[in-house]
Amino acid sequence: MGEDADARKINHSFLRDHSYVTEADIISTVEFNHTGELLATGDKGGRVVIFQREPESKNEPHTQGEYNVYSTFQSHEPEFDYLKSLEIEEKINKIKWLPQQNAAHSLLSTNDKTIKLWKVTERDKRPEGYNLKDEEGKLKDLSTVTSLQVPVLKPMDLMVEVSPRRIFANGHTYHINSISVNSDCETYMSADDLRINLWHLAITDRSFNIVDIKPANMEDLTEVITASEFHPHHCNLFVYSSSKGSLRLCDMRASALCDKHSKLFEEPEDPSNRSFFSEIISSVSDVKFSHSGRFMLTRDYLTVKVWDLNMETKPIETYQVHDYLRSKLCSLYENDCIFDKFECAWNGSDSVIMTGAYNNFFRMFDRNTKRDVTLEASRESSKPRAILKPRRVCVGGKRRKDDISVDSLDFTKKILHTAWHPAENIIAIAATNNLYIFQDKVNSEMH
Amino acid sequence: MEAQKEAQRIMTMSVWKMYHSRMQRGGLRLHRSLQLSLVMRSARELYLSAKVETDEAELAFPAAALAPASSLPQPMTVAEAEADSPPRAEETIPAPEPMETQEARETESAPACSHLPPVPQRSLKANRKRRSSTLGQGGEAGLVPSKKARLEEETAPAEGKAEVEAEDLEKRQSQVEEGPFPSLARVLQKRFSGILSNTGGPPKPTAPPPSCELKPGCRQADNMINILVRTVVAF
Repeated sequence: MGEDADARKINHSFLRDHSYVTEADIISTVEFNHTGELLATGDKGGRVVIFQREPESKNEPHTQGEYNVYSTFQSHEPEFDYLKSLEIEEKINKIKWLPQQNAAHSLLSTNDKTIKLWKVTERDKRPEGYNLKDEEGKLKDLSTVTSLQVPVLKPMDLMVEVSPRRIFANGHTYHINSISVNSDCETYMSADDLRINLWHLAITDRSFNIVDIKPANMEDLTEVITASEFHPHHCNLFVYSSSKGSLRLCDMRASALCDKHSKLFEEPEDPSNRSFFSEIISSVSDVKFSHSGRFMLTRDYLTVKVWDLNMETKPIETYQVHDYLRSKLCSLYENDCIFDKFECAWNGSDSVIMTGAYNNFFRMFDRNTKRDVTLEASRESSKPRAILKPRRVCVGGKRRKDDISVDSLDFTKKILHTAWHPAENIIAIAATNNLYIFQDKVNSEMH
Repeated sequence: MEAQKEAQRIMTMSVWKMYHSRMQRGGLRLHRSLQLSLVMRSARELYLSAKVETDEAELAFPAAALAPASSLPQPMTVAEAEADSPPRAEETIPAPEPMETQEARETESAPACSHLPPVPQRSLKANRKRRSSTLGQGGEAGLVPSKKARLEEETAPAEGKAEVEAEDLEKRQSQVEEGPFPSLARVLQKRFSGILSNTGGPPKPTAPPPSCELKPGCRQADNMINILVRTVVAF
């Protein structure tokens, strides 16, 4: 009664407002598996949702290749570190799929402190015809059992079961920012702000520290590790990026502790662009090896750069994502947007790179034709089978119809996480709490 | 002047962000703290260099205003007068004015050094002494926990308090790690201690000058620096 009275007073209009977002629903990572059949997303509430691509069927051609929810589970819960009086967020920072070795799928998911190995299995048959138990599992009255039967497997509705197989805890003092599975399929690494650890997938109670950039005196701290990844083919090589904008390629054969890099990729700063915020915007937020293993892709606040592993002095290609923000860095510092960590992605053939921006825009750069396009992930522009219209941000000068001016960009709508199918032109875009999946149909006129 | 204002605004913002990042879920982010302190440092350097330029231009005026014994109030009031009146302390942190006055003192001592003898360490502590003695009296009491000495119990004379505080700070910093960023405290402390250690001032007279009430700006500066310091120590 009292409850009803209160309910009447509560304003529920926010629930109808699509722009209201529960923080727990904000997607924090997106990852395709190695075949592209499965797509996993993690959110701030610690949940993982796995989508599966429907097999193409001749009966319903218009649903071919659509992704539907396959499984949902709670990966991480909020925790409290009593020793340090710190809350540990349940937000999933990264998900990485393990290469499939049997019928089950496995993935690693991590929050700030703990990495978990989850096994995803399907059950579509169940045994029926037990002698001692009936259908519900209750013990039968033995006097009713007159003959013996062999249980048989009967088909049932598909059930997807997820179970945590390993929990890799207490390996990190600082916040984990990335994990990467080695091509040897036995080990993986996890990186926090100052250290990188190497784990064996089967061993949870110890790990090897392979990089440690913590200075003896924390007053001398000048840079932190921002991302890291194993080379796709060479199991001894990995790269890590720093907040100063440099990349270090390390070879685990050289020494047990890879503090000394084998290669250092760094571009000298352009002195004409120096400002208060130069250091912040040069911090690399994501690094990805190309599928070929020959190149690396990095994202800093305003650009994406392609590096050749054979050339350390500068990137071979630099693409401006949203250079019009360069004059607005102070306001972006004020509203904290300057700290946003955007990710980047390669397409399957390493010919196109993609990254997100503000206003729910995302950008694609074709490395061969040097053409780029800005697209928007929004409900209005994403009716099923609609073709995405290229968008443009105008920076003064001639303004075309449908152009958006820099000042009307919505900085609360940011696309930080994107993923590209390993083989096909299918992309997954996380826009706050919504996941958009765009497919490029062969007979489409776009691209 | 514009650059100076901008730098000041950025410093204020940075401190505010640092303070609030402590209350974030998930604990302090090392990367974020590092970035904030880098911006803070760039802004401070620009602010100081801009200040030096403005002060050099007005060198004659403050030089005349300086008198030996109680010269401390004057450079500050002069500095306050010449600087643009920064945004008042309606903001959550009374940042710009105290920061500026603090900086003013710092840079003031540089060009006017012919008039100010080098500051012995004693007087530095004395300066801090005076400032912190006014803590808890102003409206900022809520921000700063009242600091009774933990290791060295002293009965209250205002003079003793700040010395104890200064020492305790150092002791605390050298103590066992309290969290994942034990020395972030030291990082920030060192960065901001530049402000404190460079602070010039007249030699301290034997008794603590009865000048607390003469230096309203000083009071607020204390709160600023001490807020920073306490923010740091609490990590």
